Amino acid sequence: MEVLLGITGKDFTIIAASKGAMRGVTILKATDDKTRELNKRTLMAYSGEAGDTVQFAEYIQANIQLYSMRNGMHLSPAATAEFVRGELARALRSRHPYTVNLLLGGYDDISDRPTLYWCDYLASLAPLPYAAHGYAQYYCLSILDKHHHPDIDFAKGMQILRMCTDELKRRMPIDFKGMTVKVIAKDGIREEEYVDDKPVPCA
Amino acid sequence: MDTLVAQYSRPAFENEGYAQDDDQQLITQITPPLSLKFALPPVAQSSSWLRAMTDDYSNPNCPIKIAHGTTTLAFRFQGGIIVATDSRATAGNWIASQTVKKVIEINSCLLGTMAGGAADCQYWLAYLGMQCRLHELRHKRRISVAAASKILANLVYSYKGMGLSMGTMCAGVTPQEGPALYYIDSDGTRLSGNLFCVGSGQTFAYGVLDAEYKYDLTEEEALELGRRSILAATHRDAFSGGFINLYHVKEDGWVKHGFNDTNPIFWKTKLEKGEFSNVTSKLV
Amino acid sequence: MASVFHPGPPSGTPKYSFAQQPNTASEGARQHSFYPYTDNGGSTLGIAGADFTIIAGDTRSTSGYSINTRYCPKVFRIGGPESRIALSVVGFAADGDALKERLDTILKMYKYQHGKTMSVAACAQRLSHILYGKRFFPYYVHAILGGLDEEGKGAVYSYDPVGSYEREQCRAGGAAASLIMPFLDNQVNYKNQCIPGRGTGHELRQRVQEPLPRKDVEQLVEDAFSSAVERHIEVGDGLQMIIITSKGIEEIYKPLKKD
Repeated sequence: MEVLLGITGKDFTIIAASKGAMRGVTILKATDDKTRELNKRTLMAYSGEAGDTVQFAEYIQANIQLYSMRNGMHLSPAATAEFVRGELARALRSRHPYTVNLLLGGYDDISDRPTLYWCDYLASLAPLPYAAHGYAQYYCLSILDKHHHPDIDFAKGMQILRMCTDELKRRMPIDFKGMTVKVIAKDGIREEEYVDDKPVPCA
Repeated sequence: MDTLVAQYSRPAFENEGYAQDDDQQLITQITPPLSLKFALPPVAQSSSWLRAMTDDYSNPNCPIKIAHGTTTLAFRFQGGIIVATDSRATAGNWIASQTVKKVIEINSCLLGTMAGGAADCQYWLAYLGMQCRLHELRHKRRISVAAASKILANLVYSYKGMGLSMGTMCAGVTPQEGPALYYIDSDGTRLSGNLFCVGSGQTFAYGVLDAEYKYDLTEEEALELGRRSILAATHRDAFSGGFINLYHVKEDGWVKHGFNDTNPIFWKTKLEKGEFSNVTSKLV
Repeated sequence: MASVFHPGPPSGTPKYSFAQQPNTASEGARQHSFYPYTDNGGSTLGIAGADFTIIAGDTRSTSGYSINTRYCPKVFRIGGPESRIALSVVGFAADGDALKERLDTILKMYKYQHGKTMSVAACAQRLSHILYGKRFFPYYVHAILGGLDEEGKGAVYSYDPVGSYEREQCRAGGAAASLIMPFLDNQVNYKNQCIPGRGTGHELRQRVQEPLPRKDVEQLVEDAFSSAVERHIEVGDGLQMIIITSKGIEEIYKPLKKD
């Protein structure tokens, strides 16, 4: 019941992750942040097996940061995505695979383009204009198919995100406790305030 | 315990099955019977036997594959009710047909939709049509949608646990109720509402429909939204596809708005409106 | 695309499948010693033309990897001599035979009681109801019914084991259905065929379907079966074709490869 959503636009990538941390029938925390900043312009959102998620994310984060320090430059989003995929694939063939699904949002300052990579726990990687993990796929992809265009501006991006989260609130039987929304653009990563106080009734 | 009980009791519907002697009578009856006498297998737990034979979901190697899989939707708006479906029937991974009529015309004012077992929906909606006609003859007025849907709901409820599988919507306009929409499924659920999507592609249809649905839609907007929602589902759900079947139920009966191939509609939508931007020919 | 955490559609979907145990049944997988079916293999095919219908089937009967007989017809004329209806059944031959006998009797009784033969549309609906009558103990068959409609046009109706039916231009059933049906889609309904010389990409227009002449259809049927024989072990030995026209019913037998 964890929700991960990613939307790219003309000069930004939005990554949204649900705030609820659930174990069995209990919500343990309602302000969980399921994202990690890998470097200045790459953000990773994760969901999946408890324990695996944060362990894997922080391992990746440390290695990407180490690369930046050693080389005095940031790894590009594409290279980061390939590295993450490689690590996940390597772990998959070990005795301790990570059961983690990922979205990698980035901004490539060389080509001046926003990027979004979708990666599942079996380490299949795909660059996409918009992506989702978990139940969100079933409800949101059709909305994104209809309303997304590659050259949308930030306001439109947030508007589409709102349509998606409204639909999830309307149709999903479990409360996912709202979303953390982060934006990756040319000048770095920032958290976007996401007001979530209106009830959304069924038609 | 169950086996003990089964040993000393008989299946609930056994008396309704026909024995050898009335077999002959059933065959030679003049009126084609839309009867409620069903043959039952000679086992204690006929429903679990049937499941072993026909349910490809729990047993992919089952011998009898029954046609399944669908996206159907219906919604109420100021101008009546829109009913839209895809047309694909699947049996396992095999596409059994791309031209199924999933909107069943019960009579000139009532429509039913078909999701789940194709035969179950076809048969029981035909049976419902018969009951509706009988109601008209007995009471000298048309049956309400509420009553019609309840006939169906009570009927399927009486077979609960026997393995019927249907998720259907009844849409109609009557003078006493106005436009009315009901959802009925084989669990026995019966709900009235403004908007329903049923089938394996339901979530995708809901996504598009919920985002732009409002009761004050114009007729053109409503038809386009119905069509676009089915298109969304055929695009994302592998068990949905084929043709888009569109109906509009008005006060003086339903109007059909075509049975159109999804492929040209998809390309038209993509190229003219720039939607489906994930579909590219660009190699990564 | 469904992730491993959520293998099926959301739990809110109606239970079209029996995935959920009914509360009358006890827990755990059940073994059923009652298995009244076997698959006798073979394949059938029906194509409707402008003023004729061809229903065809191979004549091999198998059980497992053995061949029971090389001549066991699957296509039947039903309803007596005046009737213009043919039925093909493939799957479990005993169920198929029982079904054929039942429908044949019904058609004959109809003739005696009404003094006229039953129309294909009526017969088609009746067959659906017979199949549905065994909804909880199904006939293990894929039936195809052929005849001429009220306007004299060819009509083919196809059925699933529990009686859902649809009128179609053509339909293949049985073991080699997955080999024959795509061929028929292309050659009878001209699926994925475009009108040549109209440019490329989205300029292309689909070739429109028109009824085929009888000679062509006969050739298609032969090609479909001889090809299926090459790639499916349960199909072969002989091809039986029933051709229904307003003048009467013809039956043709042609040998197929017997290996």
